[in-house]
Amino acid sequence: MSSEPLLRVRGVHRSFRTGPTVVPALRGVSFDVAAGTMVALVGRSGSGKTTLLNTVGGLDRPDAGSVHVDGTEVTALDEDGLSRLRREKVSYVFQSFGLIPVLSAAENVAAPLRLARVAPAERERRVELLLELVGLADHARQRPAELSGGQQQRVAIARALAASPRLLIADEPTGQLDAETGLSVMALLRGVVESEGVTVLVSTHDPVMMALADRVIRIHDGLLDEAAAGQPDEPAPDAG
Amino acid sequence: MNRWLTRRWPAPHWPSVRGRGRADAGALLLTAAVIAAVTLLAGAVPALLRAGADNAVQDTVRRAGQGSNVLVHANWEHDNGPTGGRVRMTRLAEDIDDFRARATYLLGPDLDTALRPPVAVVNGPILRITGGDVPRTFQFTYLAGDLGGPDVTWISGSAPGPAVPEQFIEIPSHGPPWPLQVGLSETDATALDLGPGDRIPVQDGHGQDKDVRISGIYRPADSADPAWQLAPALLRPVPGADGVGTTRFAGLLSRESLPDARLAIDEDQLRRTIHFAPEPDALTWDATETIASQVVKLKAASGASADRSQSLKWESQLDTVLRDARTQISAAFAQAAVLLAGVLTVTVLVLLLAADLLVRRRAPALRAARQRGAALPDLGTELIIESSVVSLSAAAVGLALARVAAPGVCWTWSVPVVLAGAVAGPAFGILAAARASRDRRQPANRAARRWILATGQLRRAVVESAVLITAVAAFVTLHQRGLLPVASDGDAGELTGDLVLPLGAVALGVLAAAIVLLRLLPVGVGFTLRQALRSRRPLAVFGAARAATTAGRALPLLVLVSATALASFALVVGATVTRGLADGAWSTVGADARLDIGADADAATPALAERIVAAPGVGQVVVAQVTDSARVFTESTLLTPRLVIVDAAAFQRLLATTPLPDAPALARLTAPGPGPGGVPALVRSSNGDLRTGTRLQLSRDDAPAIHLAAVGTAPSVGGADDVVIVDATALADAGLPAVPNTVWVTGPGAARAVSNSGVAADVVLRADVLRAQRVAPLTAGILRLAWTAAAALLALGLLGLTLSAAAGASERWQTLTRLRTLGLRPRDARWVAAGELLPPVVVAAVCGPLLGALLARLTLGPIELRLLTGQAADPAAVLPWWLFGLVSVALLAAAAVVVPVESALRRRDRLSEVLRAGDQ
Repeated sequence: MSSEPLLRVRGVHRSFRTGPTVVPALRGVSFDVAAGTMVALVGRSGSGKTTLLNTVGGLDRPDAGSVHVDGTEVTALDEDGLSRLRREKVSYVFQSFGLIPVLSAAENVAAPLRLARVAPAERERRVELLLELVGLADHARQRPAELSGGQQQRVAIARALAASPRLLIADEPTGQLDAETGLSVMALLRGVVESEGVTVLVSTHDPVMMALADRVIRIHDGLLDEAAAGQPDEPAPDAG
Repeated sequence: MNRWLTRRWPAPHWPSVRGRGRADAGALLLTAAVIAAVTLLAGAVPALLRAGADNAVQDTVRRAGQGSNVLVHANWEHDNGPTGGRVRMTRLAEDIDDFRARATYLLGPDLDTALRPPVAVVNGPILRITGGDVPRTFQFTYLAGDLGGPDVTWISGSAPGPAVPEQFIEIPSHGPPWPLQVGLSETDATALDLGPGDRIPVQDGHGQDKDVRISGIYRPADSADPAWQLAPALLRPVPGADGVGTTRFAGLLSRESLPDARLAIDEDQLRRTIHFAPEPDALTWDATETIASQVVKLKAASGASADRSQSLKWESQLDTVLRDARTQISAAFAQAAVLLAGVLTVTVLVLLLAADLLVRRRAPALRAARQRGAALPDLGTELIIESSVVSLSAAAVGLALARVAAPGVCWTWSVPVVLAGAVAGPAFGILAAARASRDRRQPANRAARRWILATGQLRRAVVESAVLITAVAAFVTLHQRGLLPVASDGDAGELTGDLVLPLGAVALGVLAAAIVLLRLLPVGVGFTLRQALRSRRPLAVFGAARAATTAGRALPLLVLVSATALASFALVVGATVTRGLADGAWSTVGADARLDIGADADAATPALAERIVAAPGVGQVVVAQVTDSARVFTESTLLTPRLVIVDAAAFQRLLATTPLPDAPALARLTAPGPGPGGVPALVRSSNGDLRTGTRLQLSRDDAPAIHLAAVGTAPSVGGADDVVIVDATALADAGLPAVPNTVWVTGPGAARAVSNSGVAADVVLRADVLRAQRVAPLTAGILRLAWTAAAALLALGLLGLTLSAAAGASERWQTLTRLRTLGLRPRDARWVAAGELLPPVVVAAVCGPLLGALLARLTLGPIELRLLTGQAADPAAVLPWWLFGLVSVALLAAAAVVVPVESALRRRDRLSEVLRAGDQ
């Protein structure tokens, strides 16, 4: 294992202004995540999970602090740099799947590859592989509306993996799924970590899903409950 | 417990009403502004047209001149004396007064107020003045109004007196000519070279001499006195009144000489007529129907013409003139209604779009309220209260402004707009709130999913079919029945409810076509998406994918296509009317300028023409003799067409340099070779009496008739329906030299040249005629409405584009933000947004004007545009392509502005916030 963490977060502060009130969402958050691990970010609603994920992924800028992904300082990138980062290193899976309704599952998965201008033959091969990986090879031509919620989230995961990112950020990816389907999606993410070597940072409320993670980071009122730099700080609870 | 006892009235939550109002003040104000503006238009236009209708009636009657007078004739009693001779009836003038009073009494109150005081006219027969080179005629006339005849000053001699001093005298029936004294106008006396005491050498139709002597020479105190118009020869010689080349003179009778006039001629040759000229200022659109029917009743009550009793014979074209005016006004009302229906249709669609936007903005709050337990009736009441306040207050403002801008206000046309404004928002809002508590999950059963899909498609197909069938029915009704309202007596009346379908034909046609395009758009966009997927351009794929996702949205496409098509239709109406007026001015004048030369100056016409042609800026100059009501005989019929004697080659050249239709047949008038058995002539007539091959005879006094042979169709001259054109040289060779009385001049300097001609002539300028037509009440009103409607529709279309962009913005930027998480650059997101917005805009920009042009071609005939332009046939639709281009460019430019503006506004939103909002 490399000594250099894939994700390094240092002293991140982020607050939001609501009228005259300033609400701190993150208060000096620092932690590292090693490459090829699955980390669960746990906390109550409003604890700052999504803000932290957005800051890590470059969807939001911190008021202070820094975020490094695979050696790139995310917080120092301009818009084009962030776009390049999202194309090459970081991808996302959201609670609402965000698929393009008029495109088939395969075309949705191919979307990041098109943006990366991957050659058609290579694109098709990669899409086929990814759909195979998420267990939807037989549903390649179906449109999102013809798929179940779990299947749509699998397509979203395949799409997130399409450009071979180093870091996959998933914000409550099972929020709109029933427990059984959610578990299969988390199992898929776990499998992706194993098979693709990708690093996954996932926020969740579900203890069963936490059990699948290599590590759990708890966040409360914008502060981590454990020492940020520690690794592994809290072993995942036993799923059994 | 009884449900009625447990039921409660909806209880609005006032803080929510206020809060929503404050949060969406911009959208509500926009809705109010649209309602107020359209209500102003819909409220003011009918009232302005109504006021214009009164002016139009008055204008039509003025232009009809003496043609709209009400005339009443009555025969005289026999003047047989006790010994078989004829008695001099000394109270003849008093009889005329009694006749005039009786006719006035019989008019009834409605007609009496609409007509000027009567003038009695007593005319003798047309006598021939013997001697002289040119044929001249003479007629003696007595004029008497309520206050006597028109005032004159006797500049020499005296007023005509009685021939004999006796009160009673009987003369033999076939004795020598009875002496008669008349007065002559100064101009007539000069032309005849006669003075007081001279005898006018006249003969009747049988060649018998008449003893007519001049008592004095008079000068009219006011030559503009309407009484003189009834006998213009009493002021000056009138050329052409009694045939080609003739000039009529007239002698004025007095009360004292009137009895002698009767004895001077045969018993029935003196005709008495009372003329009632309409008082245009007293006529209104409302009164026309009553007045027209009164005239018809009087005419129906007329006695037989041979009746020797005192029964009156009424004659008038006033009823026809008023009916024509009513028809024209009804047509204008209908045309305005068609344009207004278009504006209202698009306004309703825009209000639906605004309501859609409002509800999209409010959907989270409404869902939250519903999930917190708010009852749908309570929510509906709150929304209804808000929308009603906005709609009604905006409508009130619009109507108040309309009242200020127009002499009245009409609220009926505003009802659809106010209803749409009041109902659309609450209806959409309740649906959105209801969805919050409805199970929205897709059934797992595929058959159930198919059933839901089929049910939705069937519902949509039913609505679309209903619109299509209604549009077809409207078009069939429009073409079969027309747009003019028909009253029970066949008169054109007010717009009635049964006209809703044909009046809405254009708007329904546009809606039906927009629905077809709505069906085709997804097919086209789907095809584009498939092509894009084969390409290597990711932006094309995402743009097409967004377009395909939103292609099924009905309102944006309906608004854009309807607005552009109806705006284009309005532009076609405006352009066609404008062209019709220009053509009408060319047709009326016949050139850029025309000189109508009086009888005293006609000899100088050729020299005058030479002077004019030498003036700067003058192109063609053509002189002609134009005689209205020339007596032309076919084998069995006397016709009175406009006779034009002209240099055919010069006339053809003139026509070739104007927008007037060319007349190649003019060349046949001067073609060498064996003649067709008479002087070649071109003919045209409204009823087919004059056609190629017809043999004609041009009658002349004191000379054999000239034979004419119709060899072709004549062009219209001065808008006359019946025309005969003969080459001047050919006619001179046949023995009738032309006496030119008309000069047509073309070229940019024509107006100045004829205005400075320095001869006694009426100058008619095409620019003046066109200006007068443009400011005619109905024409100006419809033209203004057409341009205003086009501008309003374009503005509504642009507003619709902005609203539809705003309504879809949230969803669009959600998608774009997700694409940005995949690596799409911000500047590329703009192109994807443009890809989504462009298809309906391009469809509207391309198909809208074409659809408007197609509908104009299909409907300009049935909407009776010719009644407005005064053209003989339905005008061909004039397609202002550059204005169409302007509409399309405006739409595309607006889309080009909307995308970067939206992009700039959205750039301020953090990606994380957009994604979080989307997850809610």
